[in-house]
Amino acid sequence: MIVCDWNFGRGKIQVNVGYLKEAGLGESFQPFSVFREYFGFVPNVFLAQTLLPRVIAAEAELARAILLERRCLPQILKERMLLALAAGRGSTYFIGLGSQVLSLLGASDSKTDLSSQETLLVDFTVKLGTRSSSISRDDVERIAAGRWTNESMLEAVLLAGWGNFLCTLSVGLGAEPDFAAAPHVATTTSLDIVSAERENFGPYLSAKEMPSDFAPYAFLRDNFGLVPNVFQLQGLSPATVAAEVEAMRLILLTDDVLKRKQKERILLAVSASNQNTYCVAVYAEILTLSGVASEESYQIAADHRQAGLSELDRALLDFAVKLSARPEEFSREDVESLRRHGLSDEQILEAVAVTALTQFLNTVQQGTGAVPDFAPRRSFRLKIGNKANLSSPDSRPKPEEEPPDPDAELVQKAQAGNLQAFEVLVEHHGKRVYRTLVGLLGSPEEARDAMQDTFLKAFQHLAGFQGRSKFSTWLLRIASNAGLQRLRERRPMESLDDDGPEGEEGFRPRQVRAWTDDPEQLYSQSEMRSLVENCLKKLPAKYRVVVLLRDFEQLSADDAAAALGLGVPALKSRLLRGRLMLREALAPYFAKSPTGVGA
Amino acid sequence: MITCADFIAELGNYMDESVADEVRVQLENHLAHCQTCQVIVDSTCKTVRIVTDSGSFDLPDAVLKPIAAEIMAKIRSEQGR
Repeated sequence: MIVCDWNFGRGKIQVNVGYLKEAGLGESFQPFSVFREYFGFVPNVFLAQTLLPRVIAAEAELARAILLERRCLPQILKERMLLALAAGRGSTYFIGLGSQVLSLLGASDSKTDLSSQETLLVDFTVKLGTRSSSISRDDVERIAAGRWTNESMLEAVLLAGWGNFLCTLSVGLGAEPDFAAAPHVATTTSLDIVSAERENFGPYLSAKEMPSDFAPYAFLRDNFGLVPNVFQLQGLSPATVAAEVEAMRLILLTDDVLKRKQKERILLAVSASNQNTYCVAVYAEILTLSGVASEESYQIAADHRQAGLSELDRALLDFAVKLSARPEEFSREDVESLRRHGLSDEQILEAVAVTALTQFLNTVQQGTGAVPDFAPRRSFRLKIGNKANLSSPDSRPKPEEEPPDPDAELVQKAQAGNLQAFEVLVEHHGKRVYRTLVGLLGSPEEARDAMQDTFLKAFQHLAGFQGRSKFSTWLLRIASNAGLQRLRERRPMESLDDDGPEGEEGFRPRQVRAWTDDPEQLYSQSEMRSLVENCLKKLPAKYRVVVLLRDFEQLSADDAAAALGLGVPALKSRLLRGRLMLREALAPYFAKSPTGVGA
Repeated sequence: MITCADFIAELGNYMDESVADEVRVQLENHLAHCQTCQVIVDSTCKTVRIVTDSGSFDLPDAVLKPIAAEIMAKIRSEQGR
């Protein structure tokens, strides 16, 4: 058992302070001096990383810049901000550490000592650290109204980033607490209530011109081809930018433990799980520069489990995403799982460090409100098609302007007993009734039977048709009901009306490879026909029928909703879900291959 | 900040151009730098186009005629009772 005696002021401790193996770094290991200077000792969360001294060196650079050199806010306030964030995140490790530091500073950890101005900043830090995607310009304006300067706000942003960084490290490494944590109630911030109409777009800070030879920017340009906005917005604190870039160099841009591509994938997947679209865009671009196909990058962001990665790389991303998104579920077993996949403790340590660094960068981006660096990959503006169902509500006929039902005269005659008129209606509408029924039922024979039922029923009830809707809408309503009734009889257990276990919410597109520009050119007309028919059959009936009425029969939303007895919002929701499911089923036939050639 | 989930929830209204201007601006800002959502919008529009133009489930005239005749025969026989 290796025993260290350099843990200043706290006697000798055994080295195994976390899930991973550790190495004996000597007392003279220079980066530790930063932690000793700030904390008075070297906390276990850093001792647990001795397998990779360069990672500790990176963390020491960040600690120096954020904790020691940033002097805008008083240290006691900074510690209270970090402690409140630790409590907000439920981090036992950091509650113990933060309380101890405050006690060494001679301050209490009670929030009641804070002025209302200080409370604003503490609350901002907690909100940014715990619910970063909900930060808005409103929050930033409150800080400004509290007479805090941009420098103070930047310091709060950096502290929130640092707090998230350390919380992620302590969970991923399983660091033993340095001190027992007193029970600490999670902070409720006064910023909880935000306007629903808030403006979420930044930037919240101004970029500051830096000399053209500012070394960290030159390094970013050399390695990533640009200086991402998130770094430009931190121009008020060049030392922090330098520390962040150094941390990226030491943790990300190395290939000796995990491969750089593996680490960049972690950046991407964790940012996606944080719903940080800015960071997803930046890291996807960076991955593309590393030679990863852009389609793969975006598939990782959408769902890394569907990105065609090796089992090991998938397990690595599972690990990182769980650590960042569900830290309360993370345990030693997650580390063991990676060991079973053949990863060394050095590699697991690096995965934890990269995940923590991603949390830091994501938090800083949200706090600074950095806007995207890239122009859209292609100019994107929805082209409205010439289909009735893609036309704007304004261009659709208003109810009072609706042209008369073209079938009105024939219907009147049929209502008066003219069978020839009804026969013309059958011939006019037979095809669309059949299409709807065969699309719903699948079987042409059954569709023909249901078609007969539909027209017989229409004839029987024709006298009651008062022309409040078009005859065609009324007819399709009868047809849809006839088809759905047959499905119920076929599978009485299948619910056609309720959302069932997979509700309207939560459908997540998984196929995110771009489609070829002209998909119709890939297959013959008959091949396209059977492709669509086969894919449509895969949709649950309640979505299928909506797609049939809107996209095949071109009914308006109002008419389709009326035909199905649904409200318009419910119809629209089902239509979107149905179209997305159909898109999912068709994607393998029309998506570009990873090499960019057709499907 | 609009997330991909927020964007997809509004996709139907966006395609219908039935979102308020300020929501549309937020959606398009998201779209401008989110390639995943660009792909989803583009491929969903193409899906609708393909489905609409596919001619799927079409009933040839030659098949429709006898079915229509059969339906009318049933109606006439019902009426004759």
